[in-house]
Amino acid sequence: MPDIEWVYIKINGIALKVPKGEMIIESAKRIGVEIPFFCYHPRLSMKEGGANCRMCLVEVASRMPDGSLRKMPKPQTSCSLPAAEGMEIETDTEALNADRRGVLEFLLINHPLDCPICDRGGECPLQNNTMHYGPPTTRFIEEKRHFPKAYPLSQYVVFDRERCIHCARCTRFTRDISGDEELNFLWRGADMEVATFDHTEYNSRFSGNVIELCPVGALLSRPYRFKARPWDLQSAKSICTQCSNGCNIKLDYRLDRIHRVNARLNEDVNEEWTCDKGKFGMDYISDESRLKTPMIRRNGELSPASWEEVLYLIASELKNAEGEVAGVGGAYSSNEDIYVFQKFMRETLRSKHIDHRMGPNFQSYNSGLLKRFGCPAMGNPIAELEDMKSTLIFGSNFVDEQPILYLRVRKGWRFKRNKVVEAAPQGLISEEIRHVTQFAEVSLNYKNGTELPLAQGLLAALFEDKGRPLGEQKLLSHLSGKNVAQCASETGVDEKDIRKAAELLATDKMCIFAGEYVTHSPDATAILEVLGDIAVLTGNAGNLNVPVSRNNEQGAMELGILPDMLPGYVEEQNPGMNTEEILSACVKEDLKALWVMNTDLVKEYHNSDLANSAMDACPFVVVTALAITDTAAKANVVLPVHSVAEKWGTFTNVERRVQAFCKAFEISPDIHAEWKVFSDLSSMLGSPMTYADGKDILNEIVKSVPTFAKCGPNTLGDEGVILNPVAGGKE
Amino acid sequence: MAETLNRTFTPIAQGMALTLKHYVKMLTARKENIATFQYPEERREQFPRTRWRHVLTRYDNGLEKCIGCSLCAGACPARCIYVEAKENTDENRVSPGERFAIKYEINMLRCIFCGYCQEACPTGAIVLRKDFELSEYSRQDALYTKEMLLEPILMKK
Ligand code: SF4
Ligand code: SF4
Ligand code: SF4
Ligand code: SF4
Ligand code: FES
Repeated sequence: MPDIEWVYIKINGIALKVPKGEMIIESAKRIGVEIPFFCYHPRLSMKEGGANCRMCLVEVASRMPDGSLRKMPKPQTSCSLPAAEGMEIETDTEALNADRRGVLEFLLINHPLDCPICDRGGECPLQNNTMHYGPPTTRFIEEKRHFPKAYPLSQYVVFDRERCIHCARCTRFTRDISGDEELNFLWRGADMEVATFDHTEYNSRFSGNVIELCPVGALLSRPYRFKARPWDLQSAKSICTQCSNGCNIKLDYRLDRIHRVNARLNEDVNEEWTCDKGKFGMDYISDESRLKTPMIRRNGELSPASWEEVLYLIASELKNAEGEVAGVGGAYSSNEDIYVFQKFMRETLRSKHIDHRMGPNFQSYNSGLLKRFGCPAMGNPIAELEDMKSTLIFGSNFVDEQPILYLRVRKGWRFKRNKVVEAAPQGLISEEIRHVTQFAEVSLNYKNGTELPLAQGLLAALFEDKGRPLGEQKLLSHLSGKNVAQCASETGVDEKDIRKAAELLATDKMCIFAGEYVTHSPDATAILEVLGDIAVLTGNAGNLNVPVSRNNEQGAMELGILPDMLPGYVEEQNPGMNTEEILSACVKEDLKALWVMNTDLVKEYHNSDLANSAMDACPFVVVTALAITDTAAKANVVLPVHSVAEKWGTFTNVERRVQAFCKAFEISPDIHAEWKVFSDLSSMLGSPMTYADGKDILNEIVKSVPTFAKCGPNTLGDEGVILNPVAGGKE
Repeated sequence: MAETLNRTFTPIAQGMALTLKHYVKMLTARKENIATFQYPEERREQFPRTRWRHVLTRYDNGLEKCIGCSLCAGACPARCIYVEAKENTDENRVSPGERFAIKYEINMLRCIFCGYCQEACPTGAIVLRKDFELSEYSRQDALYTKEMLLEPILMKK
């Protein structure tokens, strides 16, 4: 912990010790004193438009150098008032109440009386503050400001300009957090309005957050518009399923319909943000297309069947298959489903052919990482990223692949002056203007496919930098004898840039991200070796991050949906087949049955021809699915399974954090949890599994998989728990 | 024997005489002095502030007053109101302003006729009126839909 200088202040006569310079509005929170506010937000900077609403006024008396107290003649805004030794603050005086009434009366002059139809009504700070501190009536009888209602800012956000109170939260968000700087103020005074440049579309990957930030109903969600009022909704704690970052969210639902998704605070993961993929992408849960009964292929057509019938059919087919069975998928299922699935395949069906990977790359890049650094994916927890003095983003469309990690890295740059070095293929940067490029100190714009020489160039530059220790001779082997100049000409990057990048990376707190351009490259293993060398050479061994991208892909790795790894990365002696081999075996008719676990295989597998012909050739394909996907349409049996809203369970996110999600509602009693399907089948096949619910399974995982030892259902809490490091495996 | 007859018929005759007396009295009495109403042909006049069956009212121009704000549902202690709102368009204008109720249901079995909904309504759309005949043959029928609750459009002459 850095040294904090503490000061003693008094709020309403209560003495307290706070860090010097902390804003008084925050100090008041420490003792539960409420100060009303609109524009203040701890994650937004005060610069460029902060402290404008004047709602948070307090009376201040400062300590003079001679020790006397001097009361400031006018009230001050507590959101921009840094704590100093001896300050005495009053938050609840007659004068302040009058001031607050005045501020609110002014704010309401142009605010329409829309509460009954406004989507913010019921959870609106303006409404609440007016009820508590506002005047009972207004003296303004003239005509209010008028604008057309419901101006569509973007696909997701509508804007009611009449309601805006000009707090600048949204504009500061786009500058401080999302970094697309889209929103700003146009005009001044009462005519001031939030707008994009030239009223173009508000185009952002994080636009949904401004809806939650806006303290009035000015920025509203388009999909949620008029769907419900806050008191109509019930809410379930959940985890976003749209990517591997695992944002904590609240699913707000009514009966069996998801109406909106709001972020849930988790300082270690998403803070209080979500990206638009997550915020507006969870509708699939209550979509009409959800499958509500099992389907069986009869006379070439999928037709509804009962669970007894399908389970009996599957059990007999699997029995006949005698171990010539394989399973693919699992990256979208909960940890419990995954664990029971691999147990069912390995122990009940005696098959080792399971794999969740869909990409082109089956070299064991993960196990390479694991052996070297003892970490299969991300070496740094998300929260640590903002403290990295320099970050190398290598071959990644970062903002799309890892939205929340992107926000962290950007936060470090914006608020802590960290440096970012980007290496991206040439096509990517020109297409993607809102990319890391915007704030990267150096952008290495390499020729497509030259990831390896570029990484080698960086490593060579680090070696040539005389300030570096040259002891690590064995790292030199990965250079293949190249020097910086050679690498520069091979990659089409300026040699100076490579050297400058290397210089920036040579700090004691540096981390590297390798994105999909690395993991999908044929040279993946070699590139990761070199990137690992860079980490080691700069004294940051272990700070190599190869984040996964799908919902619970990390969980599928941790819990052994891999042909060569049992749960907890215990190596399998005789590995089974990987996805590619499984699909080829299907085509060659070497397998009697294939289980596709809640994955749209033909869409997601990188070689859709192979996936298609495998599905066609395999004599018996079972698909668990939420809806009839292209893959399910080719199956012999389709089983409807629970989505994230219909059961309790856990996911493992990209930083190996296990987080629980709660059941919200049931859509149909004929939709089963995935693990239930496996345990029922296993019992029919003679190896009973007796799990009552997901927590039972998690308890078994905790007992049997050492990495999960701290992740019991009762210890997860709201923030989740990071898995134990993998035993053994570290260079 | 006579004793028995006397004991049997005298009270009957007395009783019938009383009935006859009242019957004659009723036939000749003034209407407002009669306590008995010939329900269902006749109905007793309700007190002015009686709260029975709800009505969703309209403005004079035929637009619905309800704006689908769900405040009634929020106020309802029995949680028996369900409102779903939608956006008015120029082609399909149901109420003034941006929003109207596309679904409005009251579960009359749960309603306790407290009138809080009427109190909460910002537009005076939902009112409890004097129609008290609320029995139904099934529970499902006791779910009053918007169509049932909505006041018919009055044709102004
Ligand atoms: S739109 Fe909302 S967040 Fe933006 S300035 Fe107006 S009131 Fe503030
Ligand atoms: S970053 Fe990922 S986990 Fe978070 S909201 Fe977006 S899609 Fe969901
Ligand atoms: S009268 Fe009372 S109980 Fe009945 S619907 Fe209205 S608020 Fe609910
Ligand atoms: S009846 Fe009144 S309170 Fe209820 S939804 Fe309609 S306008 Fe709102
Ligand atoms: S909250 Fe302090 S001025 Fe707005």
